[in-house]
Amino acid sequence: MSLENIEPSQDAQAGAVPPGNEWNPNGGELVQGEIDIGAYAERGHEVPHARCYVVRIDCETVRVTTAHPTGEALLAKVDKRPCAFELIEEFVHCENNVVESGETVDLRKRGLKGFITAHKEIVTIFINGDPHPIERGERTVAQILTKVGESPEGYILLEEKDGPPLPLPVGTPVKICGCETFHSLVQTGGSS
Amino acid sequence: MDYPQQQLEELKRYCTKLMAFPEGGVTYFYLEELRLPAACVPTVCDALLCPVPRDGYPSRLFLSVRVSSPYPRNWNVTNARIAERNWFAFSWKVDLPNLTLAQLLIAHLNALVKEK
Repeated sequence: MSLENIEPSQDAQAGAVPPGNEWNPNGGELVQGEIDIGAYAERGHEVPHARCYVVRIDCETVRVTTAHPTGEALLAKVDKRPCAFELIEEFVHCENNVVESGETVDLRKRGLKGFITAHKEIVTIFINGDPHPIERGERTVAQILTKVGESPEGYILLEEKDGPPLPLPVGTPVKICGCETFHSLVQTGGSS
Repeated sequence: MDYPQQQLEELKRYCTKLMAFPEGGVTYFYLEELRLPAACVPTVCDALLCPVPRDGYPSRLFLSVRVSSPYPRNWNVTNARIAERNWFAFSWKVDLPNLTLAQLLIAHLNALVKEK
């Protein structure tokens, strides 16, 4: 659960006017303090400008301080990354829309009640700092090294996982969930 | 021999404590609780990296235990006495020059997870 997660307060419900509302000095428009976009969507109301939007992502409720966050920023609110997950907009009339990671979302879009996330089938891994697409699941060291035009005969594949990069056994499948960080290093050494 | 601070920092990531000490005219790097590659048992052990020639090898990695790994190795050093402790080492020759300390360590650790 994100540190910023909150339960929506009474004031966050549609129609309520919570304390902290203010007039926008530039537009002459009332800017609400905090609003729950899901509640507005259910009522079919237009989402007003606010300083903070209460947004549901999967089963979590998070606060967003801009009306136009990126998909990546929203995923980060629930500790997920676009290299493994996609973000999907959910609308009141059972309509869904996939948000690309760099795409900007309009939280004031009518009918937008929240988001769900889904594990991607084609995820992104990082090899020597560069992103590479790969199918999720168990992959061989050779399949991973192929992404950078290398093979186990000439290169060691190292995975950086909760610590420093360590060599991976060539004969053991590598579980790919997305966002894994690998390095390759030229093979050296032999039994003497 | 002095090593760049960056190399020492890189090496430090592999263990909980890094210490350099001279013995018998050789500088060893003591790596406390060195992380071992996946599929090795145990998953951590203390180690000594000798980055200079010794016993006819260009460099050596001594481990505090005989590590069980996916591929059997020729453990040709048993109970070598260094810094008042016993150490084990397998026969492995890393002959690529100009490796950083961490790369040298990786080359030795890789021996535990490669067939030949």
